[in-house]
Amino acid sequence: MSGDHSPDSDEALGARLRAELPRYSAPAHLHAAIAEGAAPPRPRAAWLAPVLAAAATALVLGLAFLPLLPRIVPADPTERLVRSVVAEHTRALMWGARHPEVIPTALPWLTQESGIGLRQVFVGDDRLVFAGAEPVYLEGHRGIALHYRDGDGHLLTYTVLPIPGLPVPDRQRVQIEQGTNRWRPALMHDSGFSAWVWRQGELACFLVSDMVSEADVERFKDYFVRVRVSTEPVPAN
Amino acid sequence: MASDEFHQAALAHLDALYNFAMYLTRNPPEADDLVQETYLRAFRFSHRFQPGTHLRAWLFQILRNTFLTFYRLRERESALAEDGVPSWDVPMFHDAPEESSGAVEAHTDLERALQRLPEEFRTVLLLAEVEGMALEDVARVMACPVGTVKSRIFRAKERLRGLLRDYTEK
Repeated sequence: MSGDHSPDSDEALGARLRAELPRYSAPAHLHAAIAEGAAPPRPRAAWLAPVLAAAATALVLGLAFLPLLPRIVPADPTERLVRSVVAEHTRALMWGARHPEVIPTALPWLTQESGIGLRQVFVGDDRLVFAGAEPVYLEGHRGIALHYRDGDGHLLTYTVLPIPGLPVPDRQRVQIEQGTNRWRPALMHDSGFSAWVWRQGELACFLVSDMVSEADVERFKDYFVRVRVSTEPVPAN
Repeated sequence: MASDEFHQAALAHLDALYNFAMYLTRNPPEADDLVQETYLRAFRFSHRFQPGTHLRAWLFQILRNTFLTFYRLRERESALAEDGVPSWDVPMFHDAPEESSGAVEAHTDLERALQRLPEEFRTVLLLAEVEGMALEDVARVMACPVGTVKSRIFRAKERLRGLLRDYTEK
């Protein structure tokens, strides 16, 4: 570095840099933004931490025990029955039937156990395969459940219970026609399952499946027809 | 240093940091962002600052590192010369910010010449000559030995003189 004082010297150049270069000052908004960032955070209220901790603990406990809490039982008897039928269907779906019996071999025993006779019974076709039949006990009623499985693996549970005059909700009724036959079962939903509900004489009938989408419901209608046309349950007495 | 005291001490260097950021980026919005990011990091890592050392140099060091990381590192293409400074014809960094929208134009030959210097040379001149920082502090900011700082100042001034001569002749 030179030590002279000519206009080209290091000192002169340094002086030019200091004197001639414009100096930029931080704009006011930058001052404000950074000062705001530097401000110490507002202290939390002393009571906030224990309250939050208690709330979090309660939430965790609530979530942990949620599956154990009793579910709210619907007041409507039909809804209550649908819930029971769906629960039975779910159990069969997960664990299989308790006493899967073959029809017609076990029909006398099933009739004796369930109190439901089957004058005619759907034992499957090209679309639905019969998976088994078993006696059930739902909402204080003995009944019979027949399980079918379709080509896509959907399980269908057809349940018959001796409940005379079971109210079928009008608003949920769906018209289904096939040839000269016409039915108006109600399509009800519970826990992500669909259920056709209808009355057949003194008996309440249910057909449950997990087919809930629009396309699936059309297929579910077809399954309803197949079961409904070929099955005739009657009280055993 | 207490947190509040640290914040106040750091805020005292805001204008100097902004000025430096403007010469690095040549773009007010980018300079704003760069300074904000610098303070954000400084406050977040204030526990790493060693009391008794030069806070100003520490802040300039954060600003330059942030600049290199976020603004210019991606543009690093050329190989470095032995002393870490690129050769004359192949600048280490492009001067892209001045071409972007909102860039500040250089009004004097001195500004134009400074702008054309590679970042290493521009920074040593700004820190040592304009900010009047001690060579040890400049070395800390630039993470290099004091000898390298002296060498860069010498070479930066040579180049600056050359550029100024070119402008005068034109």
